[in-house]
Amino acid sequence: MFNKLLATLSFLFVIPAYLSAQNCDRIISGRVIDLSTGKAIEYANIYSKEAEAGAVTDSLGYFKIQNLCNGSYHISASHIGCLPKHLFVQITKDTSLIIYLDHNSEVLNEVNIIGEITTATTQESQTLNSEDIAQNSDKNLATMLEDVTGVSSIKNGSGIAKPIVHGLYGNRLTILNNGIAQSGQQWGVDHSPEIDPLVANKIRVIKGVGALEYQGNSLGSVILIEPKQITLDPHVHGNARYFFESNGLGNGINIDFEQYGKLVAWRIVGTLKKSGDNKTSKYYLRNTGNQEANVALQLEKTWNKKLSSDLYFSSFNAELGILRGSQVGNLTDLENAFQLEEPYFTEDNFSYSIDAPFQRVNHHLLKFKSKYSLNKKQWISLTYAGQYNLRKEFDVRRGGRTDSPSLSLEQKSNFLELKYHHYLPKNWKLKTGIQGNYVDNVNKPETGILPLITDYISRELGIFALANKSYKQTRFELGVRYDFENRKVATISTGVPREIVRYENNYQNLSAVGGITNDFAKWLSVAYNLGYSVRNPEVNELYSNGLHQGVGGIEEGNPNLKQEVSFKNTLSIKTKIKNKFSFETLLYYQEFQDYIFLNPEDEFRLTIRGAFPVFKYEQTQAQIMGFDAVASYQFFERAELVAKYSFLYGSDKTNNIPLIYMPANNLYGELNYQIPKLGPFENVEIQLNNRYVFKQNNLLPSQDYLEAPEAYNLVGVKLSSKKQFKKVKLNTYLRIENLLNVSYRDYLNRLRYFADDLGINAIVGISLSF
Amino acid sequence: MTNSPFIILTSLLLFFSGCKKDEPLDPVIPNEEELITTFKYTLTPIGGGENIILTFKDLDGDGGNPPTISKGKLDTNTTYSGSVELLNELENPVGNITEEVREESNDHQLFYQSTISELEVSYNDNDLNNNPIGLVTQVKTKAAGSGNITITLRHKPNKSGNGVQSGDITNAGGETDIVVTFELDVQ
Repeated sequence: MFNKLLATLSFLFVIPAYLSAQNCDRIISGRVIDLSTGKAIEYANIYSKEAEAGAVTDSLGYFKIQNLCNGSYHISASHIGCLPKHLFVQITKDTSLIIYLDHNSEVLNEVNIIGEITTATTQESQTLNSEDIAQNSDKNLATMLEDVTGVSSIKNGSGIAKPIVHGLYGNRLTILNNGIAQSGQQWGVDHSPEIDPLVANKIRVIKGVGALEYQGNSLGSVILIEPKQITLDPHVHGNARYFFESNGLGNGINIDFEQYGKLVAWRIVGTLKKSGDNKTSKYYLRNTGNQEANVALQLEKTWNKKLSSDLYFSSFNAELGILRGSQVGNLTDLENAFQLEEPYFTEDNFSYSIDAPFQRVNHHLLKFKSKYSLNKKQWISLTYAGQYNLRKEFDVRRGGRTDSPSLSLEQKSNFLELKYHHYLPKNWKLKTGIQGNYVDNVNKPETGILPLITDYISRELGIFALANKSYKQTRFELGVRYDFENRKVATISTGVPREIVRYENNYQNLSAVGGITNDFAKWLSVAYNLGYSVRNPEVNELYSNGLHQGVGGIEEGNPNLKQEVSFKNTLSIKTKIKNKFSFETLLYYQEFQDYIFLNPEDEFRLTIRGAFPVFKYEQTQAQIMGFDAVASYQFFERAELVAKYSFLYGSDKTNNIPLIYMPANNLYGELNYQIPKLGPFENVEIQLNNRYVFKQNNLLPSQDYLEAPEAYNLVGVKLSSKKQFKKVKLNTYLRIENLLNVSYRDYLNRLRYFADDLGINAIVGISLSF
Repeated sequence: MTNSPFIILTSLLLFFSGCKKDEPLDPVIPNEEELITTFKYTLTPIGGGENIILTFKDLDGDGGNPPTISKGKLDTNTTYSGSVELLNELENPVGNITEEVREESNDHQLFYQSTISELEVSYNDNDLNNNPIGLVTQVKTKAAGSGNITITLRHKPNKSGNGVQSGDITNAGGETDIVVTFELDVQ
């Protein structure tokens, strides 16, 4: 693994060689090598747009471009099934290059790069690269991540979705936006993370046992959204992307520009998206459109050899419609909705309009980071991040109040971090840091409704230390973390007269992880990780008290909840035989003490809207176990078959009942075929895929209003091609989802009570790189 | 530059000690003007006599303390005129929700269902489209019997749904704002 790490680094180095010196007969020559296998790549395309010349590598991976003048050149190297590499070289003499290309196969030895330092973790991680992101730009963060084995999403319609990894979501899963824990309203199942995945260059899911470097409530897995580092190139470059989707008549554009300027390196990304009513296989889902406008700005400056800084600002702004027929007043309404062929308020016509119920969400992040090298082996960094989150939810209300939100929350957070890195002798590496976080959460009084989430101020202070060591084919990792949180809460009583009741919580947590990975042979690598982590009960679990109309129940918090303690093991086994067959699996077992969950009580409470069931936050002993498996087989060079399977089983051990909201097991297969040239198209890739989602059988009838939906099967196709023109590179794709237009409902989509899931959807996209 | 770690540490300390407010400010107690605490159904015998008032009262809103619900006694073979009053008694002065419903009469309808077979409720008011609202009704009793009456207020019902105008709730749709049940004796 470490060797591969070095290999990644080395592609950055351009190896110049001295030869002769004459005008306009310079030569760029070199070799293209597969990053993961170290073997030469044949038929790779090398192209320089300034020279308007290119070459194709021979059977040993060598290439040569002749008759070049002195000057600067952009060189791109591409090969089917690989992420293209772009280099910028100044030529004053004949130059030779070694270019490493990364086959973007999902399998084997992931190399992890966090920020400027390359760190590998022994924990299992899977990545969506820039191409995966570009070819799924119609999706939101959670639905994009569904492509990763072991990741599902919990939804309230297709527009509102949050990722769920190994059965954990929301406050049990940390989402990092550019290294900063997303600080937003992660309550319940109907709040999706306020992040535009299109500003990212890479999205990584660490299906691990704990991420001690980051603040937040991770009980194992972490999702990292990482922006691109600005390429060392003095010219302005960028990408422009457009997509259209047939279901919901959605349109979106995403544009980015970047330049490594003399004064400062900069990059700016903008996204605009709009879609209207989605359609099931039979009818329109009224009021399920959404719109987004996002922007991100990135600045990097190297002050001198020792000090560098970067500034990052991102702004996410969305309006998300919620199916009109899913707003219910009481249990009878909900039960009536179960009987309907089509939800109430269904219309025959498509519409772009977004009316109540809908959510309006704004999230802004400002991050400033400076890094100072003490010497070659030690450096420190200081990071500040401020976040501002505004969430307003609108319902259909009486007396012209539809225009006032039913929920209006404002959250401000400030984060400060000091980190120290040290490369020690004998391949030891040490990373340690101290972090402080201040969160101020306020309900705005414009709603005219008693808030379900309380006002609070939280202060957290954390310290961590991580160490790892490589020894031959083995890597070890060890880490500890300590956190202190002080939370001051102000709630409004539900009695008459309404009163303000204050609480104060103090929590101390200790977390620890350990891991080992070993490459037993070229074809076999095994990793084992173990983690102990603690999560503080959240304010909704402690103090919410009232009718949660969306879920048709009265929710009662419990101020006496203890911390939730988790213990997780993962074992990963990866094999690869002759570059033809590969198999990897990740087994996990997680045990919880005092797992917090909403327990349905044997009690109904009468209100003027009828009787509602009472749910109380309670704690139990729980376990989640499962495995993810991926196998791929390359029939011949151009054709590959990939199969993925995820299995998960969650149970409440004290009461001997299943855990609710656990993803159903699913099986996915894809067949890929690559054609180097087809008429005017180059690098054509054809994919046929199939996803089978089993019925969630691990659920008791008393745990839900309805039985879990039946199993379903979705077929999809994908076509993509790339073409290099003189100055620009064109990338086009067509994706069809639910090709057979089947009707289905998914257990983790709350709208399953009311309507079918999405019918056929065809997405066409085009992207230009310049 | 040698001082920089020191400066950083100092600023970190300042950050923790100086973070604006220490405690959350008193949250503004919202003016819950939309809340309906009280449902009052007044039945006036047309031939004269004492009014019968059925009340459902839940002063603290959803959850909290249980509501108080009154019972009613009606005479046999009598016609009553019924009128509904909706109040928000948490507000001071008391909020009149009946007016709000009347102003949005196209978007509201009350439904009356009784388990007493010979008790008949008919609508006695109309919205702007000449469809019933149900704030004003007529109740006719015949033989003696006892049972209950359930009154439902739907927001945004489909008034053109099959049977909805004659008071059948089955195809009404919309959201339930109120559903209250009173025990009733016809003697």
